[in-house]
This record gives sequence, C-alpha cells and structure tokens, in this order.
Amino acid sequence: MIWVEVLSRHRDVAARFRVDASEFSIGRSYDNDVIVDDPHVAARHVRVFHDEAGQLVAEDLGSANGLYLDRDRSRLARVTVDGNVPIRIGHTLIRIRETSHAVEHERLVKSGRRFVPVVAALVLGVLLLGIDAIKTWFAQTGEPHLSNYMLPALVLIGGALIWIGVWSLLSRLFSGQSHFLRHVLIAETAVLAIWIYGELAEIAAFSLTWPVALNSVYIAYWLALAVMCFLHLREVGRAHLLAKGIVVALLLVTAVTVQALQRSEAFANSGRQVAAHVLLPPAMRLRPPQDETAFFADVGKLRAKLDAERMQGKPGLTQP
Amino acid sequence: MSVGNVVNVLRWCGAVALIACTAAVAAEAPSGAEGVYASAPPRLLQIRTLVAGGGRQTSTGSGFLVSADGLAITNYHVVSDVALEPKTYRLEYTAADGSHGDVTLLAVDLPNDLALVRVDKHDAPFFSFDKAALDGALQKGERLYSLGNPLDLGFTIVEGTYNGLVEHSYNEHIHFTGALNPGMSGGPAVDPQGQVVGINVATRRDRQLISFLVPARFAAALLARGRAQQATPEDLRKDVIAQLGTWRTALYGSLAEQGFRSESFGPYQAPETQAPWFECWSQTNASASPKPRASINTTSCTADASVFIASDLDTGAVQISHSYFKSSDLNQFQFANILTLKAQPYLSLGGSFRKWYTPQHCHENFVSVAPASSHPPLRAMWCAQGYREFEGLYDVVLVAVTQDQSDQALVSRLSLQAIGYDDAIRLGQRFLEGLQVVR
Repeated sequence: MIWVEVLSRHRDVAARFRVDASEFSIGRSYDNDVIVDDPHVAARHVRVFHDEAGQLVAEDLGSANGLYLDRDRSRLARVTVDGNVPIRIGHTLIRIRETSHAVEHERLVKSGRRFVPVVAALVLGVLLLGIDAIKTWFAQTGEPHLSNYMLPALVLIGGALIWIGVWSLLSRLFSGQSHFLRHVLIAETAVLAIWIYGELAEIAAFSLTWPVALNSVYIAYWLALAVMCFLHLREVGRAHLLAKGIVVALLLVTAVTVQALQRSEAFANSGRQVAAHVLLPPAMRLRPPQDETAFFADVGKLRAKLDAERMQGKPGLTQP
Repeated sequence: MSVGNVVNVLRWCGAVALIACTAAVAAEAPSGAEGVYASAPPRLLQIRTLVAGGGRQTSTGSGFLVSADGLAITNYHVVSDVALEPKTYRLEYTAADGSHGDVTLLAVDLPNDLALVRVDKHDAPFFSFDKAALDGALQKGERLYSLGNPLDLGFTIVEGTYNGLVEHSYNEHIHFTGALNPGMSGGPAVDPQGQVVGINVATRRDRQLISFLVPARFAAALLARGRAQQATPEDLRKDVIAQLGTWRTALYGSLAEQGFRSESFGPYQAPETQAPWFECWSQTNASASPKPRASINTTSCTADASVFIASDLDTGAVQISHSYFKSSDLNQFQFANILTLKAQPYLSLGGSFRKWYTPQHCHENFVSVAPASSHPPLRAMWCAQGYREFEGLYDVVLVAVTQDQSDQALVSRLSLQAIGYDDAIRLGQRFLEGLQVVR
C-alpha cells in the first residue's frame, strides 16, 4: 500500500490518496490511479513503481512539462522518491510515502505551564498601563482630570489590540495558528523597551548633560520597531528568516535615513534643534557642576561654529 | 464700570470741543497750520523706492530740503533697500509741484534712522533747524506741525504737541502727540515758525496719537558730516554695517557700566539692570483660576533698543527676566516639568532666518559659581545665533535655573540681540555671578 499526498504551497497536505497497487500512474485524465487537477500536468504524467533494488521510483511518461524534484530546476526522466522530498509536476507538489515511512515522535502536550505566558502578558500589560499613568501624572501640572489618564490608556489598549490582531490574523493565515499570546508579549516588550529608552535618554540629557541621547532617540525607536516587526514575522512563519531579516533591516535603514534627512533639512530651514532642553528634579543630577569659568570657555567655543557657518552660508543680500 | 468710562470720555470730548470753538472764534487771521503750510510745499519731497529696472514704486516716504544745493533729510528706513541692495533698487523724488528726478544717497545714521540724500534741485527754498530744539530747550506742550505725504494721498500737514523726550528709551526720541501715518516717515515736524524740531519716524499702532520724532540735532549732525561725503554704494553698505556694530558696542557698554542691583525672589537674589532705558513689568499667576499648583512671579525688564535695519529685519531688543517658581502641591517631577516648559532658551528672529541668521547652537551644563555658600548650583543653557551679514554680531540667550531645591526655583533669562560675542560672555558671567541664595 502506498500513500500519495498532494501538497499545498505551504507544504500542508491538500489531498491524500491511498493506492493499493504496487505500480500506478499520476495524471489529469480519469484513467490514472491518482488524478491531479492541474492544467500544467499531462493526461498521463508519471508512472510510479518499485525498481529492481526495491526502491520506489517515479518516471516521466513523456509529458511536455517534465518531472522535477521539489524546487530543483533540472528535468529528470526518472527519480527515486524517499518520502521526504516531494516531486514536482506542472505546478503541483506530490509526496509519495510507503506505509513503512517513519513518522516523527509524538510531541508532548504542554499542559502544566500554559498559564506562564498568560501571566507574563497580563503583568507586562498592567506594568505598561501603570507607567503610562505615571507619565501622565508627572506631566500633569495643571488641574488634574481623570480623563487625562483614561484617554491615553484607552488609546494604548485600542492601538495594541489592532496591532496584535493584525499580526495574529497573519499568523493564522500563513502558519495556521494565531500565536496571539506571543504577539501580545512581543508588542508589550517593544513598547516597554521604547519607553525605558525614552526615559533613560531624558535622564542622560539632564543628569549627565549628554543631549545626544535625546537627539538620537528616534533611531532607538525605529530600531525597536524593526526588532518588533521581525519577531512578529518570525511568529507568522519560521521559513525564510534570513530574507525577512534583510527586508526588515532594509526598511529600518530607509526609515532612519529618511528621518535623519528630514531632521537635517528641518534644521537647515529653521536653524533650531527639535529636541527640548529637559529639566528634571535637582536630585537626579549625576555629575558635579562645572566651574563658571569652564562653562563660559565651552560657550566660547560655539563662536567658531557660528562664524564658520556664517562664512559658508550663502549671503542673503546681493552683493553690489 | 464700563458705562462710567464711556460717560467720562464723552465729557472729556465736550470739554475739548469747547476749547476748540473758543480758539476758532478768537483767531481771525489764518490759523497756525495754514501759515506753516503756505511756505512748506516747495521744501517738501516725496521719496520713492523703485525697482531698478522698472518705473513702479515699492515703497514711499517723505523728506525735506535742508540746503539750497539740493541736500535733503529723510529716514534711513525710507531708503534702506537702496542702502543695502543698490543694484536692485533706486530712488526718485516727487515734489509738490509734480516735478520729479533722481535721488542719490549720501550718508546714513542707522541708530537714529536718518539718511542724507541729494536731489537735482538748485536754489530751492529749504528748511532750517529750530535753535531751541537743537539745544534741547523746547517746552512740553509746544505746538508742532508734522508734514509729509501719508499713504501717497498728497502732501499733508498734521497738528500736534511736543511732549518731551520718550522715557525708558536708549535712543533719543521726541514724543509727539499727533497722527503720523505710513508715508510721512522722513518728513519734518516744525514749530509755528516753520523751523524743524524733529523728523517723523514712527507711531505706536493700536494706540492713539502716540508718535515719535527723531530730534533735529541728529539730522543737523548728519548734514554736517555727510555734506562733503562722496561714498560709493559699497562704502555706504559697509558704513551701515559698521554703524550697527559701533552702536551695539556702545549700548552694551552702557548696560555693563550702569551695572546691576540685587533684587529678592524668595530666598534668591537676582541681578536687575540699573540702566534707565529699560522698562520693567512684573507678572504673577496668584489670581489665576483654577488655582495654579505652582506660584510664578516674574519680573521682566525690556529695552526696546531694536532698530530698523532692513525692510525685513528689525533687531536689537534686550531682555532680562527672572521668574520665581514655588510649588504648592506638585511633586518634584511635575515641578521640573513646569520648569522645562518655562525655561527653554528660545532665540527670537527679527527677520527671515534663512536670509539673515546662521543656525543656532546651544550649550548647557550644571554650573557652580564660587563661593558655593552664597551661590546656588545652576543649570545653565546658552544658545547663540550669528548674523550672516554682520560680522561679529550675534543673538544670545542665557537661561539659568537654580538647582538647590526641588520645590522652588528661580529661572533667570538674559536675552541679548545683536551683541558682540565677548560682550555677551562678559555680561553672561556677571549675570550668573549675580544669582545668589540666602540660606
């Protein structure tokens, strides 16, 4: 007894035929043992039989489109089938297995620890909402309003649900499983990373007087977004990870380049940096104050920059 | 309250009308204005700026003859386009009799907004300067007549009152209570004898009859200095820039010389200028509703020492301000947030950024001033931008925020437009040294 399986593009079994004969044919016409409804398959396309060594062999019956192994490009007159690598006729992938074909071991059902990701997702979610509330609280210097807390939280939850929903849907489409919890965890971790970086950048800008951290915060945001998208894509399908990585990296480089360009053009147009000069509580100062003389020496160095820009700048007035 | 105000105003108007009526009955002969205007027209000019290639005007102003050989005084801002871009623009005059001709720019006085020009008129009558005005001996309340061509409507005479010199002003200006309008700039303001007391220069918009004149002595000085001058357009342009630099150096020199006095803000002491040409105002949010969660008391001293440099550039203001912040129920992060909003070191622009300014650069750090017992640690932010056209001039803003308390702070701001970099550093240093705390 032999099993013939027609595979989908994603290598799922689309149809399975049981053949009791030791030799049989595959094709489009109704006198075949296995009928394939692919217009690129010949009426009688392939004959399958055991050769002298007892191995299962597929043989082209003179079709126009020929017989191939999986994605291979070299046309074959006959080929030994091992039950793992499918043969290709027309646009159809066919896997032929004997009853003796060994299957994988039984996978264990993960029963005991299913609650771990659920708890992790919940804890992270609550943590994020908490951070969001604290951010709102610290920014609230006027009259406190409850809606100031509710609205951003609702926007955050709504946005996250849409984002995670889309990824779960894609996962379901392409890998058969939605992996909802994993997508939740990925999204939550990314938002947490972005927020933590944002806060660290502000602290660095104030406490260490290192404003570069704040000026380049957009790079970190794009990076976090790219990593998040890559992880989501990995859940959608584990195949072609390298290609996915390259695509995401290219998009990341493009986004960072475009934004850097846009920022430099905005600076050229307005002459001002976008980032604010952040002040935090005095207790968060992490470096000793600079002596007044040293500060003004540093300030004096700006003059050379300004003068250089004055010289290279195009004059506004037409010189007589 | 508003009804009462209206009634008061009406009564006041009635009183004025009564006086005017009595005056009209008493005077049989031609009134002062008629007499003054009778002899003025041949001495008055309308000065028009035209695009060099075309015949249409881009702006108009007034001017007046001050010598028999065709020298005339007008405002710098009437001829600034030609002074700065002589290849793009040219000048023309139109006299009251309809004659017109070319105008040559001879000399300018940028700080006082005056220009001396030559027109091809000979043996024409001209204005002379009032002796008392040159000596500064004019009495408040004296009647003045301002002449010019407002809005290109035709030569006009406006009656008004001399009200002395403007207070809190670095540049001397006469406060003239009369209606000046665009187009009259550069025209003369004369006494009843027809002698020049000042030159029309500006008016306060949205206010009533508040107008300004440049005292005649600056015009007389410019005439004496520029009479013999034979400057090429390029020399003139360089002279404008040089005058700007000299004037700003003198102004900031005077600011440093007048010195600072200490003013109290909570536990802090902050420097306030003693220069009389600053105008100081204070502001509080104590009566704001809803009740503010941090009290903010601000004192701000401003010198509107800005001048017209080009039709698209006005710069030169100086500001010193101190805001004392005290939190009532904010936590220290919220308090720091308020400070962040209010302590940004913004530099304002007096004209198009791309045309006039270099990009700005900033430096910030924690700063300590010795001795630490009386000086709080500061977060100081310094931003500066340069002028593309004016070598050696910069706009600078220095903001200092005290760092010794988490629920109260002093935010001090020193904003200096069109200043030499070294002057700015010296003033900045003095400013920071003046910030003290009493413990």
